[in-house]
Amino acid sequence: MRELKLMKGNEAIAHAAIRCGADGYFGYPITPQSEVMETLMAERPWESTGMVVLQAESEIASINMVYGGAGCGKRVLTSSSSPGVSLMQEGLTYLAGSELPCVIVNVVRGGPGLGTIQPAQSDYFQSVKGGGHGDYKLITLAPASVQEMADFVELSFDLAFKYRNPVMILSDGAIGQMMEKVELDEFKPRWTDEYIEQNHKWATMGKKKGDERSVITSVQLDASVQEDFNHKLQAKYREVEENEVRFEKIMCDDADYIFVAYGSSARICQKSIEIARAKGIKVGMLRPITLYPFPVKELQELAKQVKGMLSVELSAGQMVEDVRLAVNGKVPVEHYGRFGGIMHSPGEVVEALEQKIIGE
Amino acid sequence: MSEHCELKYTDFKSDLSVRWCPGCGDHAILNAVQKAMANLKVLPHEVAVISGIGCSSRFPYYMNTYGFHTIHGRAAAVASGVKVANPNLHVWQITGDGDALAIGGNHFIHLIRRNIDINVILFNNQIYGLTKGQYSPTSKRGFISKTSPFGTVEDPFRPGELALGARSQFFARTVDKELKLSIEVMQEAAKHKGTSIVEVLQNCVIYNDKTHEAITDKKHKADRTIVLHHGEKMVFGANKDKGLVLDGMDIKAVTIGEDGYTLEDILVHDAESYHVSMHRKLANMDYPELPVALGVIRSVEGLSYDQSVELQLKEVQAQTNISSFEELVNAGDVWEVK
Repeated sequence: MRELKLMKGNEAIAHAAIRCGADGYFGYPITPQSEVMETLMAERPWESTGMVVLQAESEIASINMVYGGAGCGKRVLTSSSSPGVSLMQEGLTYLAGSELPCVIVNVVRGGPGLGTIQPAQSDYFQSVKGGGHGDYKLITLAPASVQEMADFVELSFDLAFKYRNPVMILSDGAIGQMMEKVELDEFKPRWTDEYIEQNHKWATMGKKKGDERSVITSVQLDASVQEDFNHKLQAKYREVEENEVRFEKIMCDDADYIFVAYGSSARICQKSIEIARAKGIKVGMLRPITLYPFPVKELQELAKQVKGMLSVELSAGQMVEDVRLAVNGKVPVEHYGRFGGIMHSPGEVVEALEQKIIGE
Repeated sequence: MSEHCELKYTDFKSDLSVRWCPGCGDHAILNAVQKAMANLKVLPHEVAVISGIGCSSRFPYYMNTYGFHTIHGRAAAVASGVKVANPNLHVWQITGDGDALAIGGNHFIHLIRRNIDINVILFNNQIYGLTKGQYSPTSKRGFISKTSPFGTVEDPFRPGELALGARSQFFARTVDKELKLSIEVMQEAAKHKGTSIVEVLQNCVIYNDKTHEAITDKKHKADRTIVLHHGEKMVFGANKDKGLVLDGMDIKAVTIGEDGYTLEDILVHDAESYHVSMHRKLANMDYPELPVALGVIRSVEGLSYDQSVELQLKEVQAQTNISSFEELVNAGDVWEVK
């Protein structure tokens, strides 16, 4: 039985983490996501499921505690907002380089620098292109509702362990702070040590007689060994791109134009579709749910049907680059978005569609 | 510092309206800093105020000086960069217990170890106020907050102990509402060459109200705090009838005229002693066992980073036989291409 509740997106992350059997959370206060840790602390999961919740001394400490927990084969997560996630980039590239699974929640706020505490989607590049140094990727999920904030926690852990790679839940201040009804999953037990030992041989469990020594590392001083490892990583990413693309198509069947939007922008665009269709403009939306892997094939298919696409983001134009790469010049692709903490209105989006795409 | 000008504290006020909560201790600290600067006769354009992130870090906006609102925890590093790049500036770092001792702990201890000539004003309200009430690294064990609804299970840092452990040559403590004392210790801190740490016991009226009240309220402060002055007997109490003595290795509070203790037995404060052990004992005194020490606890002359660099330059220059650019070009590994 799923339980129906009314709560903030940030609170949903916390409840979902406990319910899916996460082993640990490490975080540091930052607006607009402090409710994740506050909810976890109030729920006292260490008494019910045994989950650990710890307030670290910084985001750098948080991500490295995650690194340590992940190395033990445990399901660990952290959450923060943009400036804090910037601090975590070193840890993330080491986690990816060590092929360790973990979940990071970024409740994005306007930047650059300290920026604002209002919602933004300007961390797209940082999330989907790697963020830290080296050739690696984060599997990136973009929730557009409080329900998806809850649902994507377990999904993220599943993907993280399937591919032994960090998974980012790229949310924003609007999705984190808004309250909606949400159906929470039933409580699932945490993994036992026996389960981890059997299923995740790489995990730090203590070396038994006859076991191979296992050292978690991301360094290979022999460049040819490092190249081989990079080939292995890239093969894994191709597999992710083949199998894990997720998206939602809204009113695309008869569409002459489409919005490409994720997260809170996708919510705004749903209203924009209503407004535009009332005016007789046949517009639909492709909502990427995974930002990496990106729904390239779907956009290529839509490019055969529509006359133009508008990438709507709370940024100066980031995802639009991936839309253009996918479409490869077949149809015009433009960007529209307010940024720095300001959100566009549905009407502004329709106006942008008329001016930038239809007007041509 | 210019000796000629007459400065008022209002010369250091910016025209921005101050946006801290009504009743916040930060207002009084801002006043104290502005008054100390006016007394020091330092001109606004000779001062840079560097902050990190937190409520206290709004400080640069309210100062009519150069200002730098930087990164959470990094103010010490940014201030170091400012001071070594422009040693003529008087650099003040404004920070809080979260900013300086949690995320910025590393930079905090290394600033002190390098002894760069920066005045650090550390607002200690034992809470994260800006993010609305999570426990900080100075919150007492068992403290209840949004991220510790059942009490913290961690021991706090004592800023004085940490600073002295990082070999601080200047450590003072004051209370937000003790304006006169704050001005006095801030002036001493500014005059000190090298890193000066001033811990201000500050009240957060919204998320941690009255956290220092047990020792700072009018009724009890005379008996629960002791204001230290270099070269003077360590006496305290409403009637100045209490004092500190050494009992074995520990400090003990006694009443003069009781148990055979006379004024003769009371310790004299030596802030300028190089040995840190007594300063550490004084900095660590806590109510209810002992009065909390206020004033300048340690002020030892040593080489600041700048002075050390200058000294090294002179030493190297004295030893070298290179005295011109031509000699420099021809020094070391030189060969002729034919």
